[in-house]
Amino acid sequence: MPMVNIAGKDYEVDEEGYLIDLSQWNEDIAKYMAVEEKVDLTEGHWEVVNFLREYYAEYQIAPAVRVLTKAIGKKLGPDKGNNKYLYELFPYGPAKQACKIAGLPKPTGCI
Amino acid sequence: MAAAEFDIPEIKDYIEVPKLREGAMAHAKTFIAPQAVQDFMGYPHELADNWKESALEKMGDLLGKYRSLKVFLDACVHCGACTDKCHYYLGTSDPKNMPVARQDLMRQVYRRYFTTAGKLFPKLVGAKDLTKDVLDDWYNYYHQCSECRRCSVFCPYGIDTAEITMAGREILNHIGMGQKYSNEILGKVQKIGNNLGLPGPALLDTLEGLEEDIEADTGVAVKMPIDVKGAEVLLVTPSADFFSEPHVESLIGYAKVFHAAGISWTLSTHASEAGNFGLFNGNYETMRKVAMRIRDAALELGVKRIVVGECGHAWRVAYSFWNTLTGIGYGADDPFSIELQKQLDPNYPQPQHICELTNDLIKSGQIKVDPSLNDDLIVTYHDSCNVARASRMGTEPGGQFTIPRELIKSVVNNFHNMADDTIYESTFCCGGGGGLLTDDLMEVRVKGALPRATALNNVVKEHQVNFMATICAICKAQFTKVLPKYGFDMSMVGGVHQLVSKAIKLD
Amino acid sequence: MSTVTIIYAGLFYVATLLLVAGLAYKIFDYSRTPAPLKIPTTPAPTTQTGVVYRMAKEVVLFESLFKSNKWIWVFGWMFHFGLLLVLLRHLRYFTEPVWFWVNIIQPFGKYASLMMVIGLAGLLARRFLVDRVRYISTPSDYLMLVLLIVIGLSGIMMTFVVHTDIVALKTFFMGLMYFDVQPVPLDPILLVHLALVALLMLIFPISKLLHAPGVFFSPTRNQADNPREHRHVAAWAAKLDQKN
Repeated sequence: MPMVNIAGKDYEVDEEGYLIDLSQWNEDIAKYMAVEEKVDLTEGHWEVVNFLREYYAEYQIAPAVRVLTKAIGKKLGPDKGNNKYLYELFPYGPAKQACKIAGLPKPTGCI
Repeated sequence: MAAAEFDIPEIKDYIEVPKLREGAMAHAKTFIAPQAVQDFMGYPHELADNWKESALEKMGDLLGKYRSLKVFLDACVHCGACTDKCHYYLGTSDPKNMPVARQDLMRQVYRRYFTTAGKLFPKLVGAKDLTKDVLDDWYNYYHQCSECRRCSVFCPYGIDTAEITMAGREILNHIGMGQKYSNEILGKVQKIGNNLGLPGPALLDTLEGLEEDIEADTGVAVKMPIDVKGAEVLLVTPSADFFSEPHVESLIGYAKVFHAAGISWTLSTHASEAGNFGLFNGNYETMRKVAMRIRDAALELGVKRIVVGECGHAWRVAYSFWNTLTGIGYGADDPFSIELQKQLDPNYPQPQHICELTNDLIKSGQIKVDPSLNDDLIVTYHDSCNVARASRMGTEPGGQFTIPRELIKSVVNNFHNMADDTIYESTFCCGGGGGLLTDDLMEVRVKGALPRATALNNVVKEHQVNFMATICAICKAQFTKVLPKYGFDMSMVGGVHQLVSKAIKLD
Repeated sequence: MSTVTIIYAGLFYVATLLLVAGLAYKIFDYSRTPAPLKIPTTPAPTTQTGVVYRMAKEVVLFESLFKSNKWIWVFGWMFHFGLLLVLLRHLRYFTEPVWFWVNIIQPFGKYASLMMVIGLAGLLARRFLVDRVRYISTPSDYLMLVLLIVIGLSGIMMTFVVHTDIVALKTFFMGLMYFDVQPVPLDPILLVHLALVALLMLIFPISKLLHAPGVFFSPTRNQADNPREHRHVAAWAAKLDQKN
């Protein structure tokens, strides 16, 4: 498995760059992955990332897209509680790109 | 994304048959399954010294178990009828994506080791030793086939490349070259209950959220029951319906249909997945194990009917194989099957497709719809490959084409078919089926979608179509991802029950 | 008895034996190999009668090929139907008295040889001209067509150009059938024709010519589409049920 070194610390990631050990996650690795994904992290991005981490801690899975949009809508206002806003933040898809930055495993299936 | 850049093919006025470009897709190699994934499946994770002997032994085993494989490897005359039928060939121009050439990757080895002619005169009949290069070709090109069966429609002997791809993947798994995407999912469905790996509590939370949404939207308390013993219907649907857009819109549609018709129904945490990737890997026992979850849930919950949601390959497995694998169906005389079959209501087909159910309810007036609520849409329908060429709906051959269209036309006023040679049994795969719906195969997926995108583009130009309905979770995920590369909006793809959901009257 | 006669008599006995035994074995092998899953290419007939009708259309009209590619269909059908008439016409050399219907098709059978060779030439041309077909062609694919064309042309020569001693030929074959070997006529064209026919018979059971019996065993074409109504289980798969 490939390794990433940031500020003297080694992080193990899979072929697609997802963090292997969730407990290693910190803002450094999030920022590194955001650069890899060509995403400029803003306040809105962090809201999503933090929600993903909270949800994952409770349910051991990333939230469904509906769950995520609703949660973001509650936090940031109804105009942002939609798929379009999430895709603006994460053009390659919130489920996959945001999960990567949040240090979650990639959700796979027929999605 | 770190994925390699590639050129997006240009959409022409019609689907062109390209000139060969040898090796054009030789670089496209999907990720190999790591050890943990292979361990769970009972496969090795790397080649052993005797991989060649193991591969040939497995091939011999499959030749003895599957008449399809044996006959198909013998019967091909290299006539060339299939050479321009595969969407991956049309999209990539790589000759090894021609169905016959894909088959020949295995046929050359079969001839060398299993036929007299190939043992005596290998060069003459195109027989080849099984080398590491050949094996790599297998891995790359058996993961550039979506097992969509379009070639089998046009072959004079009905040779179905899917059967050979499945055998190829089974052999590869057997010697330690599994595909990460499919095998990881097969692990999740067996450990957690669905392909996504949604644990029970997450599923419950998601469904509760959806109930709130529907009530907020319609003012009607439509429920999404789960694990309800004694419900009449067990609904088995792809887990993407819980998780993704636009899939979830169809799930809401199913719930509204059951609500409006007053049919008691339930989902199951244990069987929270209709999909069965065991099909893609060609392993009967894995496919059976995954399918047994449905049988177990049906027995456990005591349901009278089993209904399957919008998922193409799941419907193939359900319709064509469930009776064989698990006894869900009729006509059995063995104790294993009778145990379940005596529980099921003989007034309904078992299993039943959600489109069969909804269409019957609308036709018999048990639920009411207002198609004008979809007047903002001009709709076309994409026949999903597994539904079109490997299953049926209703009682007549071809019901799998007419029933979804009847249903769509009862809930929308504007409908146009795509070109004849791209629908019904000639339908083009979305490009993401058969275990290819993974980011590491994005180039294959985008290029493989070219024929469908071309046909869609023509109805968009001619009839201003702005919505393509389909009944497959893979098609939905694939199209929302790749159609934007061809300049289409991702929101123009959705399920048939997404349309039903908008048109149905709930009071 | 001349050496040539002994060689040809032996050749035809061996070829016939291997053709019959080889094909019988292959058919036995196909029929004993289970088809564990229902995999008809749909839409498919739902009854056995329907399957017979589907298969008949496939075998007589090449229905799938017609859907697929009109050029291959035209050439392929010309060749196969031509060959059928030619073979039936040849029954006159193996029957005494000649069956009446063989006499009826005699004139058609003669000209069918031309149709057959034109079809074969078309198929051969496609192997050279169409890049996709050229890519998939092996040496044996070309040679098989050449073999059939030479058989056809040598036959046409004897039918239309330089007649051979057909009475003597019939005596030779009737002799073979009754194990009373008679001399083979020493006409070079005939000897080429006969040798290549024997070669064709020899390679039939070990080559792609197995598509002839194979099509009848093709599960995508010979299965009825009734999986919800009937439980279909192979013997090896049924054992799995007992573990539950």
